[in-house]
Amino acid sequence: MSGLADRDSGLALNALLGNDPNAAMIEWAVAGGVLRFERDASVAFGGADAICALNRAPLQARVVYHVPWGSELQIERIVRGRFLLIAIAGGIDVPIILGSRSTLLSARIGGAEGRRLRTGDSIATGIAVSRVGGDVPLATAARNSGPVHVTSGPQADLFDDLGWSEFLGAEFIVSIASDRVGYRLDGLTLSHTGDTAFPSEPTCIGAIQVPNGGSPIVIMNDGPTVGGYPKIAVICKSEMSRFAQLAPGEKLRFELTR
Amino acid sequence: MQHTPSIARLGDDALLIRFANTISWEVGTRVRAAAAGIRAMEIESVTDVVPAYTTIAVYFDSARITLDSIVDTIASVVNTNASVVADSSAIVEIPVRYDGPDLDDVAERTGLTVRDVIARHSSRTYRAYMSGFVPGFAYLGDLDPLLIVARRSVPRLRVPAGSVAIAAAQTAVYPFETPGGWHLIGSTTLRMFDVARNPPALIRAGDTVRFIPTDA
Repeated sequence: MSGLADRDSGLALNALLGNDPNAAMIEWAVAGGVLRFERDASVAFGGADAICALNRAPLQARVVYHVPWGSELQIERIVRGRFLLIAIAGGIDVPIILGSRSTLLSARIGGAEGRRLRTGDSIATGIAVSRVGGDVPLATAARNSGPVHVTSGPQADLFDDLGWSEFLGAEFIVSIASDRVGYRLDGLTLSHTGDTAFPSEPTCIGAIQVPNGGSPIVIMNDGPTVGGYPKIAVICKSEMSRFAQLAPGEKLRFELTR
Repeated sequence: MQHTPSIARLGDDALLIRFANTISWEVGTRVRAAAAGIRAMEIESVTDVVPAYTTIAVYFDSARITLDSIVDTIASVVNTNASVVADSSAIVEIPVRYDGPDLDDVAERTGLTVRDVIARHSSRTYRAYMSGFVPGFAYLGDLDPLLIVARRSVPRLRVPAGSVAIAAAQTAVYPFETPGGWHLIGSTTLRMFDVARNPPALIRAGDTVRFIPTDA
């Protein structure tokens, strides 16, 4: 659990910068802001579409920029998507806790004392291990559109043919009530048949839970490790990054694979 | 008679082994033994093994190993009923100040006095069935049957860290400030999860737990 919600974009940026795949970066959501560099650095950003500038000169996503000491990276605003990723050659120097550099807000673990970054924080960067200029991964340049692929979940049988056809036929809307713990989906309330009381069991990122008579909730990176709600389906790993970037109000459909 | 465990897919990178559909300590012991057995196999590409009440999730890297291959590898451990490891013998004592905001409500719902609620909660020896939800959250049972109340209909957005709570046949301590739907009957100052400790969790699945009433 934990880690970048848009994992694919993060891996692409780390590859672009010659970083370890698990090097930490900044996941930036919602508002704009400014990062001031107190040493020379190489940076790249990606994930959500955003308007960014370096010392007022506009920047492109997925391009490595050499940023001299004293520069300011302005994040004007996110125009599409949810999580802007800002990666630095050498990564962000945060401690490895329980085998991870991730921040887990609910447990106050990792990163900046387990909390969100705030104005005035000083962020230490690691040492770049290689010169930039490797293959440019294009994985995130063009995102898939179309239905989000899922596999059937452990409680798929609790939903009858009608329930399944409603689930696969519905247009869902990402609710405003969605964050790194879970995304609630509006547009259809699913009902399940049979005995839905079962002991809490492990869940996973992308699991689509259906509470009683309620809107589906997709477990995200900082979600609970166990849950007792029926899981009708699980979003495919290859689709999770694009799903995570859906902002409140965006629409989606699901398609069952295999 | 033991049922043959069933195995279901849990997304692209995990599988779920189900040993039973209802909670019991016997099933839990079997689950923890099987989980320990799977961990001991040190299968490359398996990233985590997570036991719960009646199930085990095995998380893996699907780019390096297939679900079928894992199922074959772990079949012998899953299908034999050997208690590979004895349960943890740790006894954890938790000092509790019974001052929770739901104490009166629980008394009213159960028809007991507040004193009786406290006495019944603190006189039992509990066992940790599983860990989950957030780091360090242990599901303890079994609660005195007279203390069983359904979860709150509207969960709290913020339950303070250290809250001692009950719901259905379970009791637990919230390790961190999180949302929660259990009834808060007390609080402890113990740190339930601390990454500076090894292991970080104060209570682990299989442990024995007692709550000690305190005025402090």
